[in-house]
Amino acid sequence: MKVRDLQHEVLPQATPDELSRQRAVVSLRKLLNARVRSGNVARFASEGAPAFAARHGRQPQSPGDIRAALFESQRYRMWSAANRSAQEMLWVSVGEPVYRDLDRMEAAARALAESPDRRGSLTLDPAYDPSPEVADIDIHLQPGGYGMDRGPDDVVAGALYETGGNVFSFGQGAGRGDSKTGVAVRLLAEHFPGFVPTRILDLGCSAGAATAAYAATFPEAEVHAVDIGAGMLRYAHARAESLGVAVHFHQMDASALSFPDDSFDLVVSHNLMHEIGAEKRRAMIRESARVVRPGGVVIHQDVAIRFEPTLVHQVERDWDTHFNDERHWHTYASADLIADMRAAGFEADGIVEHNLAAIHGSNRWYAITAQKQA
Amino acid sequence: MTTAAEAILALVDSARGNRPQSLDDREVEEVLNIALALLVELSVSNDRIDRLERIVAAQGGTTVEALRDLRYDGVAADERQQAMEALLARVLRVLIDPRVPTDGRPPRD
Repeated sequence: MKVRDLQHEVLPQATPDELSRQRAVVSLRKLLNARVRSGNVARFASEGAPAFAARHGRQPQSPGDIRAALFESQRYRMWSAANRSAQEMLWVSVGEPVYRDLDRMEAAARALAESPDRRGSLTLDPAYDPSPEVADIDIHLQPGGYGMDRGPDDVVAGALYETGGNVFSFGQGAGRGDSKTGVAVRLLAEHFPGFVPTRILDLGCSAGAATAAYAATFPEAEVHAVDIGAGMLRYAHARAESLGVAVHFHQMDASALSFPDDSFDLVVSHNLMHEIGAEKRRAMIRESARVVRPGGVVIHQDVAIRFEPTLVHQVERDWDTHFNDERHWHTYASADLIADMRAAGFEADGIVEHNLAAIHGSNRWYAITAQKQA
Repeated sequence: MTTAAEAILALVDSARGNRPQSLDDREVEEVLNIALALLVELSVSNDRIDRLERIVAAQGGTTVEALRDLRYDGVAADERQQAMEALLARVLRVLIDPRVPTDGRPPRD
C-alpha cells in the first residue's frame, strides 16, 4: 500500500489554490535545502570560523562555539530565518484547508468510526493525560502539537500531521512512493526470511499511515497501534476504515503499555524515538521487548541523522532542535541505542543497526532491530 | 461555513512556543517572512493564470503556446508600458519619496 499522498474520506479537500500554495512551499523548502542549507558546513569553514576566531581570539571547538560561528555567517542567518519561515508557512498551507473543511471531515470520521462495516476499532482513554513531554510541544512547529484534542469529534491533529508530513517530506526530497513500512517489510524479508507476523503492534502511530500499510501488507494479521492524542487517533482510525483496512487503535503511552507479555510477533516504531526523551525512549524499548513474543521481532525505525561525519555537521543538523521544536533531535541522534536494546533484554549479538535506502526517492532511514530469544 | 480567513486564524491561534530569531534585527526578519509569504502567493496566482490561459485557449480554439506568444505593439504596447511604470512607481515609491528619513522614535535614554 502507498503511504503518502493517498486519497481517503477524512483527508481535507483542498482547493486548487490551496494545492498551489502547498506546492510552492514544497518547492521553497527544496530550494532552501538543496541550494542553501547544503552549503552551511562550507560556510562554517569559509566565514563562520574565521569570524568567530577574530571575535574571540580562538578557534571554535565546542558545539556551542560551532553554533555561534555558524551564526557569524550572513548567509547562514538568512537561511535559518527563511527555513523557519518556510516551516511556519508549511503549517499555514495545510492548516487552512483542514480548518476550512473540518465540519465535513469530522462528520466523515464519525460515520466511518460508527459504520456497521467497520473493520478495526478505536479505544480512547479519558483518564490518560497525554505525556506533557510530547503533548506540550508543537513538535516541528505543528500548531497544537500531537496531543491536541478539541472535543469529541476532533481530528485536527491527525489531519495536520498527515498533510503537513507529506508537504514536509516532499520538501526534504522524499519520493511520493516512499514508505517506512515498505522499508521495514523489505528489512524483514532480507534479515528474517519466512517471518510472517500474525500480531503486529505499531508504537507512536500518529496518523496511522504506517500502521494501515502493515494491515494491507499482512491482511491475515491482527494489527494494533498506540499513540497519545485522541485527535490523532480518531483521524488514524477513520483513515484506516476509509482505506478498508483493519487496525485497532489505542490511546496509550508507548512507554507504559497495557498489553500482556509476549503478545505480539512484530513490534515496530516509526519516527518515534526522536520525539521523546532518553528516559521515555528506554522505557518504550523495554516495553517493546516485553510485549514481543519469544522468536518475535522488534524494529525501531527513525530518521537517518545518526551518521553525521563531523561535529560541524552534527551542530548544523541540530538546527531543528533550536528552530523547529524538535527537542529530542540531538538526544536521539547521539543516543547509544544498542545499549538501550541490551538493557531491555535483547541479546547483544542479535541487535543490528541499519542505514537503509528509501523505497523511492533519495532519502535514507535508520533502524535498529532485534529478535527476542526463543 | 468557515471562511478562509477564519481557517487561517484558527491555525495561527493554535500555535504554541516561541519564534526564535535568526537575523540581527527582528523587524527585518518579519519583513523577510512577509516577502516569502508573498512569493508563495505569487506562485498561487501564476498557477491560477495558467489555468485561465488553458481554458481560454481551449475555448478560443487556439493553443496555450499561441496565446502566450501574443506580442503587443502600438496602443496595446503603450498601455502595458504605462501600467508597468505605474506598478514600479507604486512598489518602489519609498525609494523616490522626497521626504528626508528621520528617526521618529522617542529617545531611549
